[in-house]
Parts: sequence; C-alpha cells; structure tokens
Amino acid sequence: MTQYAFHFDGTRCTGCKTCEMACKDYKDLSVGVAFRKVYEVTLGETKKADDGTFTSSCVSYPLSMSCNHCDEASCVKVCPTGAMHKDGESGLVSVDQDKCIGCGYCHMACPYNAPKVDREKGHSVKCDGCAERVAAGEKPVCVEACPARALDFGTVDEMAAKGEQADIAPLPEKHYTEPNFYIKPSEDAKPASDTSVKVVNPLEVK
Amino acid sequence: MEAAFAEMPLALFSTLAPMGAGAFLILAIAFTVAKPDAEALRRIDRFTAIPVALVLVGFIAAFFHLASPLNAFGVFASIGRSPLSNELVVGCIFAVVMLVYWIWAISGKMPEGARKGLVWVTAVMALVFALFTGMAYMIDTIPSWDTFAGPVQMLGFALLGGAAVGVLVLALGGCADALKAGTLKTAVLAVLAAGLVLGIGGFAVQAAAASGMSNALFSGADLVASATMTIVCGIICLVGTGVCDTLAVRGAGASALVGASAGAAVLAVVGILLMRLAFYTMQISVGLSIM
Repeated sequence: MTQYAFHFDGTRCTGCKTCEMACKDYKDLSVGVAFRKVYEVTLGETKKADDGTFTSSCVSYPLSMSCNHCDEASCVKVCPTGAMHKDGESGLVSVDQDKCIGCGYCHMACPYNAPKVDREKGHSVKCDGCAERVAAGEKPVCVEACPARALDFGTVDEMAAKGEQADIAPLPEKHYTEPNFYIKPSEDAKPASDTSVKVVNPLEVK
Repeated sequence: MEAAFAEMPLALFSTLAPMGAGAFLILAIAFTVAKPDAEALRRIDRFTAIPVALVLVGFIAAFFHLASPLNAFGVFASIGRSPLSNELVVGCIFAVVMLVYWIWAISGKMPEGARKGLVWVTAVMALVFALFTGMAYMIDTIPSWDTFAGPVQMLGFALLGGAAVGVLVLALGGCADALKAGTLKTAVLAVLAAGLVLGIGGFAVQAAAASGMSNALFSGADLVASATMTIVCGIICLVGTGVCDTLAVRGAGASALVGASAGAAVLAVVGILLMRLAFYTMQISVGLSIM
C-alpha cells in the first residue's frame, strides 16, 4: 500500500483560504459544508503597564487542514456500519454512501473536525483526498490552488521529510489517530501539546 | 446549550429507552416477592404496555436521528469495534426479549415459572442495555465523555426512571397493598435510592471532571456553567421522582398512589431528559470536534 499524506507549510500560508474555496468549488459543496478549513489560531495577551503604555504578545497563525487520512482513524473505528473506511491501496479514508446511516458518530469522534453529516445527501461527507485526481497522477485541487505553495500532497515518506507529524496547536497529540499530516510550523506556532491557543473563527469552521 | 438541542432525538432515546427497560426490574422484583393473583397479573400485563411503549418510542427517536435510516440494518457490521454497534446489538437483544416476554404474558398462557424466569432475564438485559448505552459515548478523543461515570449515570437513570415507571404499572395494576408491604416497598425504595445516587453521582463526577478540561474552542467550565439551570432543574425533577414514589409506597390510598406514581414518572422523564441534554453540552474533544 502507498499511504498518501498532506503537508502544510506554516511559514508560507497567508490564510487566504483559496484552498478552502477551490475545494468547495471542485466538490460543489453547499453553504455550511467545507472539506478543507482554515483555522485562525491565536494566543498571547495585551497588558497595560503602570506608565499607561501597552505591550502585547498576541500572535495569530492560520492552519489549513482537511481530513488527515489517519492510520488509526477515529472515524473508521467508531463507524457502526463500516461505511467509513480506509482504502487498501492509497490509505485515503472515505465514506461508502450506500452503507452510511448518517448517525454523526464519525463527526463526534474525529479530533480534526473532518467528517460531517450532510442531511440533504443522507450520509457523512468529507475530504477523500481527491482520490480520482490522485489515481490520475494529479494532486488534490486544494494543493494545486494554493497561491503560496503552502500545501503539498504525496507519499507519507515524501511528506514526512518536509515536516513534523501534526505537531502544531491546537491539534491533539498524534498518538490518538496517527494522522498523515506533516507540518513546517511558522515561527509563532506552538506545538500540539500547548493549550494556550484559541481558534477564533469557530462559526466559520463549524 | 443550543448545540445540545440538536441532539434531542438521541437525548430522547437515551431517556425513554433505559427508563422503560428499567421498569422490568421492578416487575421482576414484584413477581418474585409479592406474588400477585391472576387478576392483578392480567392488569399488570396490560399496563406493561407503558414501559414497552417507552422503549419503542426511544428506538424510533434514535431511528429518526439518522440521515439515512433505511441503511440502519448495517449497524451490526462493526460489533466489537464500534461502541455504537455494541450498544445497538445489546439494545435489540433486550427489545426482542422484552417483546417475547410481554406478548407471551398478555396472551394469558404464560406459566408462572416461565414468567419469573423471563422477566428476570429481561430485567438483567435492561441493566446491561443501560450500561452499553452509556458506554457508547466512551470515545478516547472526547475525554469529557470517556469516563465510566457515563455508564454509571445511565444505569442510575434506568434504575430511577425504571422504578418510577414500574411503580406506575403496579399501581395501575391494582397492587397498592403489595406495594406498601414490607419486602416490595423496601426493594422499590432501595432501587430508587440506588438510581438517585448513581444517576446524580455519576453525572456530578463527570461534570466536575469536564469543568477542568478545555480545548482551543471550548472551556469545560463555561460549558458546564451554560448548563447550570438545566442541571439544577433536572436534579430537582429527579429528587421529586424519588419523593413522589416514596410517598406513594409509604401509605398513599389507591387513587393517590396512581396519581403520585404518575407524577413521579413524568418528573423522571423530564429530569432524565434535562440531564441528558446537559450531558451532550459537555462534549470536549482532544482536538477540534465541534457539535
């Protein structure tokens, strides 16, 4: 099996969300559904000194993420019907629409906020890594669309050579699901174990 | 709290089905210690439709929670791996045993030995079903749910709500004297007390732990605070259930017994439903899961 993975370069990403829009366009997703999301992560504080001046340690960094096609995917583990499955050839995780009951258990369990129940379609929906493009030798549309070349996609060995495995806040420790997501963090980014960061666009990424 | 209301079908399922199931424990105890006569048994069997209906309505609520209910037969594909498959297979086994018992009982052709044996099997399966319902939420990526306090509180709600429904069935079945007699009264009070302690205690342990958790999206303390009024009202209703049923079995007249036990059952439905909604409010992922 060739396990595929995404790479995110936090030193290049500007948070423009072209990746998210390109995916929505390519996959023809309705309002309220996005397979790739850009999380606006912030931390720090602003303090007022005795002399009336202010100092701030506030920083913000974007994190572009879709499904991480994890080795130990929570969504696959909890799915009662086996609809959520990992492809034996590519390692990409996708939904078998004919088996899915739309219970939302995958949505609850995934710590990367990837699957979501689309009640109009009657099943869970999520990033499938643009499996048909990958089979044709192309990269996922989000990767191709990124104007800053902050995203990449390839075999897990190729992506692992470019960064650390999902080691950026606010992501969980990698041992929960062993995500196939490798990251080159920006200077301000905190590691996954850091609990001081907040996502400040929750309604957008819901 | 708004997000929890989106889970109303599941809250209804996890309220009504374990409540109806728990009633069979009271029936099992009553048939063992009180030995109702044939006429009382006939009436009890007729009113056993109440817990049976609660279980079935609970399952129907869960069914309509699904986006594609017609694929529901596939839920047994992941038995042993998916906690939801485990819960549903145990729930279905319980429901089949319950229906076999009830249909056989109302046919009027059930021997006494078979009745006692089957009602106890139904009662034990009911408690196992309640535990598995709680365990379905033990997902390692949601630490605020990944605690045995969840199954413990579900067991407590099944005992408390089940006692309320069971006493109502016995009251409607004309068993006022049996309910006030020593052994059955003591057993009912013990089940009510155990239900209150496990239900409220399990919830309190979970809420206390959740209060100390947070992620980049939610503070557990804020989530618990947002559900404070729901929790307080839920606990008042649950304690009210215990008080009504205690008053009922400790000396109410026949008509007052029916009224008090009906009130207890209504309070139990409202109280458990509020506690279940508060439970869904306390979802804190290790990462970025958003309800």
